Amino acid sequence: MFPQFGATADTLSKASTIMFRIGTDAHLYDDPEDVNIAPLLDSKFDSEKCEALKRLLALIAQGFDVSNFFPQVVKNVASHSLEVKKLVYLYLLHYAQKRPNEALLSINSFQKDLGDTNPLVRAWALRTMAGIRLHAIAPLVLVAVGKCARDPSVYVRKCAASALPKLHDLRLQEHSSTIEEIVGTLLTDNSPAVVGATAAAFSSVCPNNYSLIGKNYKRLCTILPDVEEWGQIVLIGILLRYVIARHGLVKQSMMFHLHSKEHSSSENDDSDADSKFGKEGIDPSKKYDSELASMIYRCYIEGPDDYLSRSSYSNKVFLTFSGAKFTSSKNNEDVKILLQCTSPLFWSNNSAVVLAAAGVHWIMAPKENIERIVKPLLFLLRSSRNSNYVVLCNIQVFAKAMPYLFASHFENFFILSTDSYQTKALKLEILCTISTDSSIASILKEFQDYIRDPDRRFAADTVAAIGLCALQLPKMASTCLEGLLALTRQDSFTSDARASEEEAGVLVQAIMSIKMIVKQDPPSHEKVIVQLVRNLDSIKVPAARAIIIWMLGEYSKVGEIIPKMLITVLKYIAWSFTSESSETKLQTLNTVAKILSNSKGGDLETLTKIGCYVLELAECDMNYVVRGRGCFFRKLLSSHLGSKKLEDEVVASSQNEGLLNVLAEHMFHEQATQQSPVPVNYRVYLPGSLSQIVLHAAPGYEPLPKPCTILDDADAEAEVSEQDGSDSFTGSLDEESGSYNGSDNSVASGGNTDNGKTGSSSEDENIQDPLIQISDENHLRPAGSADLEELMSRRDLETWLDDQPSLPNSSIPEQSKVPRSARISIKDIGKRVIPKTYELLDPANGNGMKVDYTFSSEVSTISPHVITIQASFENCSSETISNIVLKHEDFTTKPSDSSESSSQDDVPALIPMEEITSLEPGQATRETIHVRFHHHLLPLKLVIYFNGKSHPVKLRPDIGYFVKPLPMDVDAFKDKESHLPGMFECTRSCIFKGHVDYLNKEKGNHTFAKDKFLVVCESIALTMLSNANIFLVSVDMPIAAKHDDASGLCLRFSSEILSNSAPCLITITAEGICSEPLNVVVKVNCEETVFGLNLLNRIVNSLS
Amino acid sequence: QTKLLLFPLSSSCSASFHSSGETQIVSEQAIQREETMLQCIFLLSDSGEVMLEKQLTGNRVDRSICVWFWDQLLSHGDSFKQQPVIASPTHYLFQVVREGITFLACTQVEMPPLMAIEFLCRVADVLSDYLEGLNEDVIKDNFIIVYELLDEMMDNGHPLTTEPNILREMIAPPNIVSKMLSVVTGNSSNVSETLPGATSSCVPWRTTDIKYANNEVYVDLVEEMDAIINRDGILVKCEVFGEVQVNSHITGVPDLALSFVNPSVLDDVRFHPCVRYRPWESYQILSFVPPDGQFKLMSYRVRKLKSIPLYVKPQITSDGGSSRISVMVGIRNDPGKAIDSISVQFQLPSCVSSTDLTANHGVVNVLSNKTCIWSIDRIPKDRAPLLSGTLLLENGLDRLHVFPTFQVGFRVQGVALSGLQIDKLELKVIPNRLYKGFRALTRGGQYEVRS
Repeated sequence: MFPQFGATADTLSKASTIMFRIGTDAHLYDDPEDVNIAPLLDSKFDSEKCEALKRLLALIAQGFDVSNFFPQVVKNVASHSLEVKKLVYLYLLHYAQKRPNEALLSINSFQKDLGDTNPLVRAWALRTMAGIRLHAIAPLVLVAVGKCARDPSVYVRKCAASALPKLHDLRLQEHSSTIEEIVGTLLTDNSPAVVGATAAAFSSVCPNNYSLIGKNYKRLCTILPDVEEWGQIVLIGILLRYVIARHGLVKQSMMFHLHSKEHSSSENDDSDADSKFGKEGIDPSKKYDSELASMIYRCYIEGPDDYLSRSSYSNKVFLTFSGAKFTSSKNNEDVKILLQCTSPLFWSNNSAVVLAAAGVHWIMAPKENIERIVKPLLFLLRSSRNSNYVVLCNIQVFAKAMPYLFASHFENFFILSTDSYQTKALKLEILCTISTDSSIASILKEFQDYIRDPDRRFAADTVAAIGLCALQLPKMASTCLEGLLALTRQDSFTSDARASEEEAGVLVQAIMSIKMIVKQDPPSHEKVIVQLVRNLDSIKVPAARAIIIWMLGEYSKVGEIIPKMLITVLKYIAWSFTSESSETKLQTLNTVAKILSNSKGGDLETLTKIGCYVLELAECDMNYVVRGRGCFFRKLLSSHLGSKKLEDEVVASSQNEGLLNVLAEHMFHEQATQQSPVPVNYRVYLPGSLSQIVLHAAPGYEPLPKPCTILDDADAEAEVSEQDGSDSFTGSLDEESGSYNGSDNSVASGGNTDNGKTGSSSEDENIQDPLIQISDENHLRPAGSADLEELMSRRDLETWLDDQPSLPNSSIPEQSKVPRSARISIKDIGKRVIPKTYELLDPANGNGMKVDYTFSSEVSTISPHVITIQASFENCSSETISNIVLKHEDFTTKPSDSSESSSQDDVPALIPMEEITSLEPGQATRETIHVRFHHHLLPLKLVIYFNGKSHPVKLRPDIGYFVKPLPMDVDAFKDKESHLPGMFECTRSCIFKGHVDYLNKEKGNHTFAKDKFLVVCESIALTMLSNANIFLVSVDMPIAAKHDDASGLCLRFSSEILSNSAPCLITITAEGICSEPLNVVVKVNCEETVFGLNLLNRIVNSLS
Repeated sequence: QTKLLLFPLSSSCSASFHSSGETQIVSEQAIQREETMLQCIFLLSDSGEVMLEKQLTGNRVDRSICVWFWDQLLSHGDSFKQQPVIASPTHYLFQVVREGITFLACTQVEMPPLMAIEFLCRVADVLSDYLEGLNEDVIKDNFIIVYELLDEMMDNGHPLTTEPNILREMIAPPNIVSKMLSVVTGNSSNVSETLPGATSSCVPWRTTDIKYANNEVYVDLVEEMDAIINRDGILVKCEVFGEVQVNSHITGVPDLALSFVNPSVLDDVRFHPCVRYRPWESYQILSFVPPDGQFKLMSYRVRKLKSIPLYVKPQITSDGGSSRISVMVGIRNDPGKAIDSISVQFQLPSCVSSTDLTANHGVVNVLSNKTCIWSIDRIPKDRAPLLSGTLLLENGLDRLHVFPTFQVGFRVQGVALSGLQIDKLELKVIPNRLYKGFRALTRGGQYEVRS
């Protein structure tokens, strides 16, 4: 305790300790078991109970298992003393999961405490009750949390918020909606303290429920500076994610800049996958590594596999913002408010808050304003020593992407002797990255000091850094080389035979750096090579010698001096060969071989002699690698070594020899690259994340949401033309009629199938199975036929007939041009679509009430935004259920961010349903309900009231029913398609196996083998029509030599988006063998790219 | 009459419209994060003993992680100790070391690492505040208080109450009086029976009903000067990191406004949560309702300073197996007030086997880890302090190739070397009488001289 007293310190400190320890719990910690604990627990005095509990906690602290006292401790939960309670809680929480049954005994007491007048008691009871984490009591806890969420005490509400994740951890599927509901309530709380705790709950309970944030976005932003610091950290992250998902990236920001560069390049050449990295010139005033930067961007947003989808997303962003740039857009308002409210946080005392705020500005702020994050970040380096390393890791990424941000602040990264090695290494790397012509002089001066640092590992790193600086600023190359050369001549490396391993490391690094710089421009650095070679005799470190010898071989023809001294040097290295280490021997061999294979003229004889000598030595070497290399080179260079008597052979095999030379060159070159490790760290995670520090995705790490993934109605509204709500189709009949309306003008089809079956158009109605029909143009189809049929032009038919024998079976017909396909009409498919139902409420949960729903293809008459859903109510209980009604969860509150467009506000989320007055047991009824999904993709929370009770349910939207069939013919389709190219088009592929089962079944009975093609077409079409409300335009069949090759099968569907009538075209192309799973490529052309993409994903999901 | 056609939805497409990554949006089956934030906190003594463990979530962390941690620490040495984030085979660990006590927190999921580190620092601050210093003994002696504090500070792995004022009201700090009382009466409750009013106040850092007979407020400017002088004796970098420390004892809920004569010298600032952002943004005025007692109102940084108070001139010459070292210290720019507590500290290179160092003033100590500390205190008027002596190198070495860096410590009372000056401190609601006190102090911070 008082070390300055030296020898007497021990005795003194003991004495003082005894003095100080009087009255503390020291004796309890030192000897927790010196009395019998059990009777104390049963004592009637609180003080004795306390002592017993403290002893138990001491044992826990020391790592003993005292769970056997559990029953006795639990009894004390009812104590009135707050201290006893607190101690019991501490014990309970430690062991509750181990002893669940006994823990249940405490529940009554908690229930009682929850009603206590003291808020502290309520809060503690709630915290402990939730902390016990037992499934059995989860419903009770949920009720308690719900109650406490409305408690008058802020502290209790805060505890209620933090109890939610505990409940969520129990994975209570049936309660998750209630939990989310409470999160929603608490987010609207007036107290910033509660909002902070709720933010934490939100991020662990429902991090993707953006609608909750959307409703309160502005309020959350303004309250942000008042939220307590821990809540701020989480809330900042949530708001950032929301804004990106809602509005996408900011056009002026760093992220967008990087992406738009990439994007424009991908537009230039069609294969955007190949041109990921922008090829345009880099803005000269603000240079940065565009490749690295765009990679950072990609890493933030998504993994590389999603690249294709991303390009379409970003197009969307581009559109939105280019439009918004000129209008006072409210989209930008959200971003502005976020940036505004996070900027005072740069002054926060909490380094995590500062870094989180900096992250937001890094991603969202306009490029010219990003500079704001620099000073706070640099201040963090000094003001919170413990965060130092983490902050540096983040600065490193920022500096890599935009070196000029930090360029003028280079002194902040100067290294202190007290820094840890990791910090030093990071600072060095940052210094290299941000060095500019104006700062390099000071930086190099610093580096010179670092080379003399006692930590030699760090000195070696510094030497490497000098090399990197020289690469970055070619002007400095010669200065750097001079310094490095001087370093290699230092007597510490040369004269001193005992140079330690670490010194050797510095030397090797110096020579590697020299090599790296020389490589940039060998001819101008000839003298450097010469000097190095001169020093060869004094440099003893094998690795260093190896590199110099390698350089000799590599640059043997560079300049004028080297070729002249070559023979002398070679003689020297041949002479010293036996005393070298094997690493150097190998390089010597390489060099000799290289020079030999390159040399011509007068010196050849001497060279050959040296070569033979070295190779002979090598072949007798102790090390088998060296021996092997020797033998190999002898073979490889036999022509050079074999001298004159083999002259004829040489001529004969000159070509072969040439090849060998090329091979040799290639090999040597490869070795060179292996030796210079490129330490590029290509793993980038979000700023401020744990993953960025440990450099792997920690569990639970999530990249930023994809830009604009929440499709808000306001967005859609702004971009589409007015739509007449009453103009609507009503169901399948309409769809079918639509289909032949569309084909009325067209030429009907009829003809024979691939495998010889024939069927005329007039027979179509009688044939139950769909047919492939190759029609003649002259056969006009009778109007009113109930088929979904298509046409095929005569030209197509003829081409097919002509070409059939020589068709390449691998070709996929391009929809518009390749004529080698027949059109198929699949009949009556609509009738074969079997309705499938979703469960809204199951009888077990709903007191015997069963509610199912199916999406209807019917188009609502109320509003184009409304989707029609068929709900069936069935009473499975034995009693009558009365007054059933389905309502929106909170039909009074409307999302705050959707106030601008009035037409939207007219439409509630759920058009009120007529009340079903009563249902007898077993009775069922159907109702049509009209629903508007605020966000296309999020489940809608509804409540079913009956018998006076409410039951929360979730209605899941299906994007496939956000469209309605748009009848058209193939030509119209192709025309429309051609108007929606490039960015309006998105493609994904998947494997379709829906037909395989059917085909396998068919295999069994050979009586009537259906055409495989038909089965394939049919199953694809059926799957499509069962999953989306679309119109089948055409089925193009491939006509291939092999009749079970389905490659080229092409189905077209058309639809239009309900809300804005934008056409949405779907093309499906298949590839593969009919009887096997097919490779299917789905393409969606749609003006609404985000919608198109979502639809695409939905289709792919349903197909695969 | 229209015929309704209901399209079935195959079960395979469980309503997930997005690429797999976002299935969670709609699919409740999707696996959510297992745990939130921190799972466990361990307190380790300087010998690696686990003094305390506090499990924060249902998923318990075994102590064996501490064994792993300590093994790593022993095998990797100091560089491991300075690593704030460690990826162990089973958990991510965050460590903060304060006065020999290691605070170790574990998590298994993504979380902001700075949040964990800041939180551990806060725990360390609160504990050392409560226990009046940190060491193994006080933690063991007051383990119940530590437990209660940890429980109050963190709930389910997320920080709950970290405001010292509220904590003090919830859990009474141990003090001599309560200790003696507990010995006499046997009643040792340190848990408050009521909820502190500040929890619901809009100024959570301030206890509501404070009464003082004498109203006092003291403002201290405490600065640390950082400087780097390179081998050539050139000042490479010189800046000041300062704090405005306030000790307030004022009745009621006072509203204070502090302004500076020259706020423009400030390069960057960070504030206590009590400072209002607006007035600073517009007028560079610190407007705040202070917490009671001692607190750090603001920290700041002043960069690009040109003058340093002290010079340190090291000279090392070496040949033939031994080296001579001489270090001279003197005043360079007189700050106008006395400089005291001057010390020079440096690490001898590892190749030095023995030393013989003497100084004409002050005390020279060479510790077993080859750290040399020369305590000068004040510079005498008659002569410049000089440290000289020989360094004997290890066998086989005839010259010194690496050179130590000298860390200089000093203290100047009464002067803020950054030049920052307080203009005035105003109180909006004036109590009977307010005594205001201002002080300044500059210390040597990261003041390094290379040789």
